[in-house]
Amino acid sequence: MEELDIEKELAKFEAEQRAALGLGSEQKEHWTDEMVDPFFSAKQKAHTEILVGGLTMAHDYLVEGGLSGLGYTVRSLDCPDTKALRFGKEFGNRGQCNPTYFTVGNLVKELCRLRDEEGMTAEHIIEHYVFLTAGACGPCRFGMYVTEYRKALRDAGFDGFRVLLFQQTGGLKQASGEELGLKLDPTFFVTIGQCLFAGDILNLLSYRVRPYEVQEGATDRAFAAAKKEVYDALAKRGSILMALWRARKHFAGVEVDKLRAKPSVAVLGEFWAMTTEGDGNYHLQRFLEQEGAEVSIQVIANLLLYNLWEFRHDTKARMKLKGADGGNFGLKDSDVGLTLAGLYLGEMALRAWWQGWAHLTGLNAHHLPDMDLVAQAGHSFYNQELRGGEGHMEVAKLILNVVKNKAHMTLSVKPFGCMPSSGVSDGVQSVVTERYPDAIFCAVETSGDGAVNFYSRVQMFLFKARQRAQAEYEQALAEAGVTEDEIRAFVKGTRYASPFFKPPHHHAGTGADFVRHVGPLVKAGRLGRAKIHATRFAASVKNAVTKDLPASYGRLREVAPYLPALVRYVGVEARDYLPVIQEGLEKMVEGVIKPNDEEQQAIDRAEEATSMMPPQPVRAPAASLPVMA
Amino acid sequence: MSKPIVIGMDVGSTTVKACVVDPESKEILWHDYERHHTKQPEKVLEFLIRIGQAFPEVAREDVRLFITGSGGGPLATPTGAKFVQEVNAVTLAVETLHPDAGSVIELGGQDAKIIIFKEGENGDKTASCSMNDKCASGTGATIDKCMIKVGMPPAETVKLHFDDSKLHHVAAKCGVFAETDIVNLVKTGIPSTEILCSLADAIVMQNLSVLTRGNTLKPKVLLLGGPNTYLPFLQECWRKRIPEIWEERGFDYPKDVPLEELIPVPQNAELYAAYGAVMYGLHEPAEVGAYLGLRDLERYITEGRKERLGESAGPPLATDQSELSEFIEAYRIPEFEQAVFSPGQTVRAVIGLDGGSTSSKAVLLSEEGEVLRKAYTLSKGNPIQDTKDLLRELRDGVRADGAELEVLGFGATGYAADVLEETVMADVNIVETVAHMMSATHFFGDIDVICDIGGQDIKVLFMENGDIKSFKLSNQCSAGNGMLLQAMADQFGLPVTKYAETAFQAELAPKFSYGCAVFLDTDRVNFQKEGFSKEELLAGLAQVLPKNVWQYVVGVPRLAALGRKFVLQGGTQYNMAAVKAQVDYIKERVPGAEVYVHPHSGEAGAIGAAMETLRVVKRKGKSRFVGVDAAIDLEYTTKNDEETVCHFCPNECSRTFIDAFRPDGSTARYISGFSCEKGTVESKEAMIELVRERKAIMKEFPNLVHYEALKAFQKQKDLDAMPEAGAPTEDVEVKQTFWGQIKHEKIQRGFERAPSEIYEQRRRWRLGMPRVLNMYSTGPFWMAYFQSLGVDPRNIVWSDESGEEMFAEGGKYGSVDPCYPSKVAQAHFHNLFFKHHEEKPLDAIFFPILTHVPCFIEHAVDHTSCPIVAGTPDVMKAAFTKEQDFFATRGITYYDPSISFVEKVRMKRVLFETFQQALDLTEDESNFAVDQAFEALERYDQDVQAKGKAILEQVEYENRVAILMIGRPYHLDPGLHHGIPDEFQVLGYPILSIRSIPKDHDWLRRFFQKDVDEGLIQTPLDINDVWPENYSANSAMKVWATKFAARHPNVVLLDVSSFKCGHDAPTFGIIDRIVEKSAVPYSALHDLDANKPGGSIKIRVKTYAHSLKLHEERLEDIAKKKDELSRRIDEKRLELLRMKQEQLASLKRRDPALEQQIDEVTARLSAYVRDADPDKDAREKAQKGLIKLGKKTADGGLVRV
Repeated sequence: MEELDIEKELAKFEAEQRAALGLGSEQKEHWTDEMVDPFFSAKQKAHTEILVGGLTMAHDYLVEGGLSGLGYTVRSLDCPDTKALRFGKEFGNRGQCNPTYFTVGNLVKELCRLRDEEGMTAEHIIEHYVFLTAGACGPCRFGMYVTEYRKALRDAGFDGFRVLLFQQTGGLKQASGEELGLKLDPTFFVTIGQCLFAGDILNLLSYRVRPYEVQEGATDRAFAAAKKEVYDALAKRGSILMALWRARKHFAGVEVDKLRAKPSVAVLGEFWAMTTEGDGNYHLQRFLEQEGAEVSIQVIANLLLYNLWEFRHDTKARMKLKGADGGNFGLKDSDVGLTLAGLYLGEMALRAWWQGWAHLTGLNAHHLPDMDLVAQAGHSFYNQELRGGEGHMEVAKLILNVVKNKAHMTLSVKPFGCMPSSGVSDGVQSVVTERYPDAIFCAVETSGDGAVNFYSRVQMFLFKARQRAQAEYEQALAEAGVTEDEIRAFVKGTRYASPFFKPPHHHAGTGADFVRHVGPLVKAGRLGRAKIHATRFAASVKNAVTKDLPASYGRLREVAPYLPALVRYVGVEARDYLPVIQEGLEKMVEGVIKPNDEEQQAIDRAEEATSMMPPQPVRAPAASLPVMA
Repeated sequence: MSKPIVIGMDVGSTTVKACVVDPESKEILWHDYERHHTKQPEKVLEFLIRIGQAFPEVAREDVRLFITGSGGGPLATPTGAKFVQEVNAVTLAVETLHPDAGSVIELGGQDAKIIIFKEGENGDKTASCSMNDKCASGTGATIDKCMIKVGMPPAETVKLHFDDSKLHHVAAKCGVFAETDIVNLVKTGIPSTEILCSLADAIVMQNLSVLTRGNTLKPKVLLLGGPNTYLPFLQECWRKRIPEIWEERGFDYPKDVPLEELIPVPQNAELYAAYGAVMYGLHEPAEVGAYLGLRDLERYITEGRKERLGESAGPPLATDQSELSEFIEAYRIPEFEQAVFSPGQTVRAVIGLDGGSTSSKAVLLSEEGEVLRKAYTLSKGNPIQDTKDLLRELRDGVRADGAELEVLGFGATGYAADVLEETVMADVNIVETVAHMMSATHFFGDIDVICDIGGQDIKVLFMENGDIKSFKLSNQCSAGNGMLLQAMADQFGLPVTKYAETAFQAELAPKFSYGCAVFLDTDRVNFQKEGFSKEELLAGLAQVLPKNVWQYVVGVPRLAALGRKFVLQGGTQYNMAAVKAQVDYIKERVPGAEVYVHPHSGEAGAIGAAMETLRVVKRKGKSRFVGVDAAIDLEYTTKNDEETVCHFCPNECSRTFIDAFRPDGSTARYISGFSCEKGTVESKEAMIELVRERKAIMKEFPNLVHYEALKAFQKQKDLDAMPEAGAPTEDVEVKQTFWGQIKHEKIQRGFERAPSEIYEQRRRWRLGMPRVLNMYSTGPFWMAYFQSLGVDPRNIVWSDESGEEMFAEGGKYGSVDPCYPSKVAQAHFHNLFFKHHEEKPLDAIFFPILTHVPCFIEHAVDHTSCPIVAGTPDVMKAAFTKEQDFFATRGITYYDPSISFVEKVRMKRVLFETFQQALDLTEDESNFAVDQAFEALERYDQDVQAKGKAILEQVEYENRVAILMIGRPYHLDPGLHHGIPDEFQVLGYPILSIRSIPKDHDWLRRFFQKDVDEGLIQTPLDINDVWPENYSANSAMKVWATKFAARHPNVVLLDVSSFKCGHDAPTFGIIDRIVEKSAVPYSALHDLDANKPGGSIKIRVKTYAHSLKLHEERLEDIAKKKDELSRRIDEKRLELLRMKQEQLASLKRRDPALEQQIDEVTARLSAYVRDADPDKDAREKAQKGLIKLGKKTADGGLVRV
């Protein structure tokens, strides 16, 4: 007789009784986000299109070129418009800020277009497209955009669509592996850097030249052609230096007249709102130019410099503490020497690279900001430890614009719902404008609708700026004792007529600076001009000796203690980069020995012919024959 | 050549103003001003013709034209005018006409502006200007609308004088809120003079507190714009409030000059913008603004506008007539046919009444549930009179047929239900949402979604198994409800009944963005300027309605996830344009959707109340209703005088007492017109009684939100004494190597301590801290830190709790308008300066920039605080040092160092450096105090968690529910949560806070082990399975708490969130998903702001209480079934044990263990028989609402609450 297994019998009985009583299982189902770890494999790369977007049109276009040069199929999205905003609002969370709605909505809009207009199924889109964007970790909502992307995509019917991230502050080496479709390796970041820097420089150049062009539209044509040059070079992995040189030539053909009293408007504010060039800020930059202003934009290199500054500042602020904290800022398990050496090196490289390219392209005398100086200017109003960049790029910039007479008007643009910019920085700016009553400061919010009020508000401040620019210009003319026509006649055919000529900064306006620089030369005669040039040269030497040299010395003293660490850094990094360098060399060799098209065709023909021949018995080569490796 | 003239034209949102100026003398030669009734170009044309007639001798070439105003832009090109920005124009006019002006306040139709003239370093006067953002309501349009609601004729308003002796609460923050408040005041019978004075005061204070951006207006203050010019009471209000602020801020103004001269209203003030445009023009070169004549403008009016529209417009409501007819055929609400009774018939029926805020409805329902008759009345602010009128209408209607009415029962819903339950002994008093649900299920059976759009609010109910699963209600920012459509129809002078007919005629429709009614109105004005016709605008607005409902209020973009069967009800469904837009919207998004329109859309609530009455009366077999005749004859008195004014707070609400006399001779008093619960009582004694009762209930039902808030700022006990000087202590030496590495070396040395006389100074040092933001999560830390250093706890002063009064007093310094939790900080500073400092001087104010806050989430990306919250200390510094240094003038030092709770070592350094000088600290002392502070914070956590654990165990034991309030730490502030948790507490639900949930891994394992095992998370306190971008500490904790509630059978959620909360927004979708999948009961009150949304809270509390009751019933059912299951299992076990015993016996064996088991199970089973429910007593007691907290904690101590 089989022994009775009571527990087994009871378990069976319990299951029956649960069913009978309607108790069921007590385990509840819980929601988990299955889109959090998107996988894009190397195998999928061939049939997958990477969508990018979110910066200026020039940047997005060049990033498209850069990544396609790396072998990806890539397409930049259109500049976000109000339709994108509507998509963002429909599928996003309530109460989000406008950049979230615009950027998230822009992706959803595009996917819906693919589905509804091109007839693709959602499954096909999910399989064949990915979106690439930058990530961050606070403190504002920017780092949570990806949460919003997932939500909106899921709710719009694209559950599972992959949003790939690279960390804005993650450095040159991020998640990478053989099986990954997108390699976030140094080549990737160097390429992105190239795209961003070239975009910065071309943008700056166009904003510098356009207000003074004689023939309307000439700058835009040059700008388009210049972008195409760089795009092609990036896409074909050609020489970017050459492309920038060719870009310069396009701009060189734009005839300019700098004798215009244009108010100079520094646009700053929330990063996306001041960067975008579409409905997101009501085409602000174009609007200002149409209203007769010269626009001074912020470049992405500034943001990178700020990121480097943050890292350096945070490390230096903590290195002498009696212990190392954890967390994202603490120095636990961190090699301070290496970190600082790397940061100094990185910043130097970034500056040299950017300034070198700028100079090559014809963007003369544009200086990237000294972030320590900027930090110092803003700190007493806006604590440096508050992150997001508003302290540097809004508060301190406004102060420097006034103190250094950099612009007639500072326009701080913020999107509806921006937390640090509208909620904090504007509050702090109210005391800054009180301390600097001469500042013409216009803080303006973009809500996505009601452009009339927005424009009206900007015009209100622009009126004052225009008056100031006019007065300054007229005063410059009076001081120089010449008329516009006299200067115009004088500069004809000289280097002063070049669109690249940038008079030394003294006034806020370019026109006044131009008059101040060129005016005294007009009636001076040859000897007089030589004297003026000599005096100016002496002044610049004096300036270099009294200001630039001590500054450089100070910098050197700051860096000096880290020189040994720098050596160590180079040693450590070199190990990591050896394969990359090796690969680069191999590619270079391959490039040299690679047959040209004609030769390749001949080879192909020969191979084809051989393949049609009956197979030959394989014989071991005679030892005496030379063997090709 | 004729004598040239310059025309200035100001095209505003409601009027066109024009003046003709002689460019030489700058004299005005001609002027006029007229309303344009949204036909701006036509009015401009008319003015130009008239000017031409007035100056026949002037040749066209000698005319220059400058145009300004919000509607001026598009008209510049066709007329040849130069557009001048409005504020520039006004500024120039003021500079020309009033060189001594210090500031300007201009109230226009759609916007308000304040210009303050500042003198720069070079002596130049610059004008700094601020305009209202879209939200502010202090504008002409709002005033106009409110005056219509108040019903005072314009001729009388101009005679009215400002009187601040009786002011009522009017929210001027937003036009919609203001209107709602005005309507309520009108309904409660407040005299119109008092209402208009209250409105003026609210507008003036709103502009002074927000629009000045914290600046002080300098005299002379010119008052410009329509309302300022024509309304003397508004002028007087400015003249009262501005000097008050001058006094408060210590601004030295010329007191010998009469106020009429300091704050003047210049003559012809309405012409300033037009005149200023001319002044601007005179600065421009002669060719600018050359007038082109009328031809192009005429062409623009006839053709130009239309051409541009096609690009931005969307499709109309219906593409063709056949689609429209088909739709109307299918969805038109059938005309209601009143039942006809025969003479002598006795009509047996119940009555259901829905006493709404704008209108009241009643229905007569037969015993079979058939709607026999309906009655409707606009609310007159007195629910008893409304009820009497409705009942009379029903009764007399039946009598008119010669029949007699026998009322079997009476049920009520809506805001009148409470008073009717008391006075006419209604059988049923149910909340509107439940009434609507009952009505919809009665007509349509098993449905998924009910969408009720009433005049004031939107209710969307999600159904499951015939009951409300969850619901969404529009918050006080009632976008897109019936009122909106009504208001829009009004704008075009159209009765709302003609809305659909008109909107269907449109061939295209402008695309409005969804959202707030004020924004929509701004959009409407803009579209109108672009040239859209009224038909098109109405069509566009109808299309916004579904977006407002589904995207704004419900916030669920995947409509299909809600189900397939939708019922539309509420008065708005009579508007077929709205119905068409809704049906199209739903059908486009839900495949196979079935959308029904309730046949009695407007009376759904009343029908629901009647249905419930039928059920209740049938079950009880009798009704307690006083009877229809008695109800109609119910006598009552109303009283509204000095005596009825509520004196319990400075609001001094003017109330109305309605005393109804019940048939038994007793009196029921209904009090209306108050803005808070204090108004519900009549005397001080009653007030004390009310507070006592509430406190008694609160004591019985623990509220850990309240407890936590209280404990956060209390004196710390159990602190260790500071070590003596020289006591051995450890320190670290820091060295940097040649290669740049940092080395830390531990050393031993003596403790360094300040001499004792310094301690005496420290004891007396008085520190103020604002009770705001993350101070709520770090309060015990700061108390302990300063106490440890020797500061007397009585000298550590926290500002008072936030409240409406506090904000009204101290909310005028801000230059930004962020979320309320951070905006209220200025009022706390005001409170510290003007209350605490004045009581006894403060030496310092400490408000740290907390970049990283304490957070229990593990494996998180970071623990940052929100950027606004972190930055507020700097904003406060700016606000209180801008014009005058409030700190320096009072001898107070302000400390706002940046502190991170993630980095203890750095925090020690920062705190030491911050207070080294002020407190003569040694580093050892400061570090010791920081260690003590961390321990205090830990003790605080443990204490609150122990209480949370006790409640959780108790409710689970008793099969009841506890409400977990999820919010940010500062939602512990009663001024921020507006007493919402307390409302639930008095209903008998214990309230948990996020902190109170035990964080002990072992304790939590039960809920999270499965997820850990599956590798979704690493520990129970990890939220990476739902949200990897979890760097915002307070958001992450909120998400974790939601996960916890989803897993605990007896925890339900109450989600509170403040308006404009940027870090809550990304979590809405996550929380929705978690809640949806786990089906944990959930209620949300989002967009909380400064004012307490009383009505909104009430309906939510009642509806949620209904859901919770059902949830508790389910829990009880499950518990019963589980008891039954264990009984059956025990029976089976006994059976099997006996079988086994027999088996053994047959083998001649015995097992003593088996026999013991049989005895045990037999004993258990006999207990089942003795008492089917052993916990019955305890449960019955619990149902009365007592949570017993005598339970022991892990360490053996008793929990006290």
